[in-house]
Amino acid sequence: MATPATSFADDLAPPSRRFSLLRAIRRNPTIAFGGVLLLLLVIMAIFAPLIATHDPFRITPVNRLRPPSERWWFGTDQFGRDVFSRTVYGARVSLIVGLSVAAFSSLLGLALGLACGYFRRVDAIVMRVMDGLMAIPSILLAIALITLTRPGLGIVIVAIVIPEVPRIVRVVRAVVLSIRSQPYIESAIAGGTRNLKLLLRHVLPNTLAPLIVQSTYVCASAMLVEAGLSFLGAGVPPEVPSWGNIIAQGRTFFQIAPWTILIPGAFLAVTVLAVNLLGDGLRDRLDPRLARRL
Amino acid sequence: MTAYIVRRLFATLPVMAVVAMFVFFLLRFAPGDPAAIIAGDDATAESIAAVRVKLGLDRPVVEQFGVWLWDLMRGDMGVSIFSNLPVTRLIAQRVEPTLALSLSTLFVAVALAIPIGVVAAWKARKLVDRLVMGFAVLGFAMPVFVLAYVLIYFFAVQWQLLPVQGYRPVGEGFWPFVECLILPSVALGVTYMALIARITRASMLEVLQQDYIRTANAKGLATDRVLLLHALKNAAVPIVTVIGIGIALLISGVVITETVFNIPGLGRLTVDAVLKRDYPIVQGLILVFAAAKVLVNLIIDISYAFLDPRIRY
Amino acid sequence: MTALLEVRDLHTQFNTLDGVVRAVDGVSFDLARGETLGIVGESGCGKSVTALSILRLIPAETGQIASGSIRFDGRELTGLDEEAMKRLRGHHISMIFQEPMTSLNPVLTVGTQIAENVVRHLGVPWRAGRERAFEMLSLVRIADARRRLDEYPHQLSGGMRQRVMIAMALSCDPQVLIADEPTTALDVTIQAQILDLMLELKEKTGTAIVLITHDLGVVAETTERVVVMYAGRKVEEAPVEALFEHPLHPYTVGLMRAIPRLDVEADIAGKRPRLQEIPGLVPILTRPIIGCAFAARCPLATERCRTEVPPFVDAGGGHTVACWEVTR
Repeated sequence: MATPATSFADDLAPPSRRFSLLRAIRRNPTIAFGGVLLLLLVIMAIFAPLIATHDPFRITPVNRLRPPSERWWFGTDQFGRDVFSRTVYGARVSLIVGLSVAAFSSLLGLALGLACGYFRRVDAIVMRVMDGLMAIPSILLAIALITLTRPGLGIVIVAIVIPEVPRIVRVVRAVVLSIRSQPYIESAIAGGTRNLKLLLRHVLPNTLAPLIVQSTYVCASAMLVEAGLSFLGAGVPPEVPSWGNIIAQGRTFFQIAPWTILIPGAFLAVTVLAVNLLGDGLRDRLDPRLARRL
Repeated sequence: MTAYIVRRLFATLPVMAVVAMFVFFLLRFAPGDPAAIIAGDDATAESIAAVRVKLGLDRPVVEQFGVWLWDLMRGDMGVSIFSNLPVTRLIAQRVEPTLALSLSTLFVAVALAIPIGVVAAWKARKLVDRLVMGFAVLGFAMPVFVLAYVLIYFFAVQWQLLPVQGYRPVGEGFWPFVECLILPSVALGVTYMALIARITRASMLEVLQQDYIRTANAKGLATDRVLLLHALKNAAVPIVTVIGIGIALLISGVVITETVFNIPGLGRLTVDAVLKRDYPIVQGLILVFAAAKVLVNLIIDISYAFLDPRIRY
Repeated sequence: MTALLEVRDLHTQFNTLDGVVRAVDGVSFDLARGETLGIVGESGCGKSVTALSILRLIPAETGQIASGSIRFDGRELTGLDEEAMKRLRGHHISMIFQEPMTSLNPVLTVGTQIAENVVRHLGVPWRAGRERAFEMLSLVRIADARRRLDEYPHQLSGGMRQRVMIAMALSCDPQVLIADEPTTALDVTIQAQILDLMLELKEKTGTAIVLITHDLGVVAETTERVVVMYAGRKVEEAPVEALFEHPLHPYTVGLMRAIPRLDVEADIAGKRPRLQEIPGLVPILTRPIIGCAFAARCPLATERCRTEVPPFVDAGGGHTVACWEVTR
């Protein structure tokens, strides 16, 4: 019933922007696969209280280190907490960190990148700083910041945003510079168009595609860094059920209770995989020039 | 050539200066009172004041910066808050295991990833290629510590082929040294390998469509010569670039891998310092890791000139 | 005497998203030892694909020789295994391409690129290969050949690069040299030099040449016999003088009219007659062409031309043509 209606619309509708995106998803299985997987995880995160079978915080020492069973689907940890319920709640932390880091670093990176592409003096200073930041491996940069503050989700997000910003700035700046050298922009400048107007009219739409693609990769990378930080004990406070924390706390008893590490680990890997697949798919569709390079 | 290297060497100075300023001002402008946080939750007013004096936070910022920079230039990175030992000495003691782990990973990853990528490009869209691409996508999503535990679970716990954790210096015999490095190197190297294999494939695919490859084939050259000399040498610049970009990945991974496998290197030093909030050590480590990364990128920049005769210094 | 190279009813097809492209659709010709044969036609007529088919250089994932026979020195090439083909390429049959800018490997020295061919096929040590490369560079009149051996392609001019390509192609004394638009990318003055060089070397070595070009001027100056191709098919074949004196096929006639000429008298106003173009477009090759491929653009076309493929008819003196109207 729905299918003929869509294909009818296919034939008639002019190739509008939103429409081509829809078709892109249908034509591109990578986007669909990554998207569906991610959607399931988002649903799991939102409805965590309904999906969880136990209270993820409740400590029952009698039931410690129970293997997966009908009662504890993913077993229990050394405090007798239900690993399944903690894993379900853990999706919240990963998704919140991934999405907010992607959003904040994109906005900050976009603003700085546009400024760099436009104002030579800003460019000289900002790019020096960005080069310096990029020289510091992201986990170390985050660690340095965390050493000096009280643990919390907010500071983890900030600590991951800072090393990700240079990546976005570089992408945006490259787009602005390449567009600026296009004859039609040069003629617009010669015609007296104001900088700001030019920015909004010509440059912003062109940066959008690479920005979206890049921010998906940032999202995936942020999830990995957050889990890594939590695993090292430098991430979100230990009582918060994040995947990195669950794994960190399972370390001591790994040899007798491997499920406390392998199951949340698998969730983390699949989530990152889903976001990366989404990014690859979007890149192939939105930014074919980049797609050919990678 | 020498002039080029010297010029590139000077170009790294501003980068290192930004790194140094970043770690310096991070401590001075961090939200809240870093001295109180470093001293710990149960700290008394006196112990907080003591930390403040130790970090030099009681003096004016300009003076602090001057003293700090002067010390740094002389190779003095301050002393640890807890052990009172010089940071440079602490770092020097821990360099060897980290160097052994990173170099073995770098070597194994590059030596495996490039042939894999070449074969994938050669057999593009065939089964081998799809397997390689599948591996690359999976490998890129695999968190280092998860993979590490999977490897430990099978190779050390279940089959008992390799040690669960630990590190042996090469002085204690070659095999014990290698044995301890295999699992950490694989865990650390898979993401890196995925990255290199992927760019090798992409770069090779592009090169294989060029006219000069058709010429090489029209000359009837053997397939391995066409692939490994004519194509790979042209595809090398992006591959080498990614090897450099991946160093950051490798360094971040080292911190985690050393923790999982209990290797007493710089990564472990970092984690221990973070947990004790020993900022001078963290600061010193950031400078060392950033310098390592900048150095690798410098080597890579210079290597371009050898790989592509069209690049002039 | 049998021909050195015999191409019979060659069909080469490409698989594209829009369907199968019949790039070469039943082409036959012979090449005698030491002969110079021109294959002429506009871009997309299948002349380059014919050349690549002979060396079996059509990438397997994009297309294949669908049917037909290619015999070289009495040996059938279409079924030959890849290793045997590799021993043939660059040794007995070699090829030079249109773009000297992109056809040489930018990261290998000129000397290496010539020497590797010699080492591969003649089994000589590397040092001897380098020496041969030096000889070849001198033969194609590159000044200061010894120094050039260690230079990279980007250090050479376009004409010099094409000389290097020729040196490379002739380094193993091949029996056949296929030159695919060897002068198209070069300046006019350099074009003449390169063509003269090819002919001169041919006299010295006795290599037969297949010269593929869209330029009738080049054909007139250099070849002995000409094959005219249109839309993947051969439409006319003749000794070069016969073709230029009495072009028979309406397509060949059209091509000749499109050449600028100096010997036609200018009128009183000093204007020369306008060049005549051939009206219409080349047919789409994804659909099988019924009848004569040129029918849609031909001024003489009849109903029969659109429905039946014209056979080749001998007009005498080795001049053959496939056209219903001309041979009626």
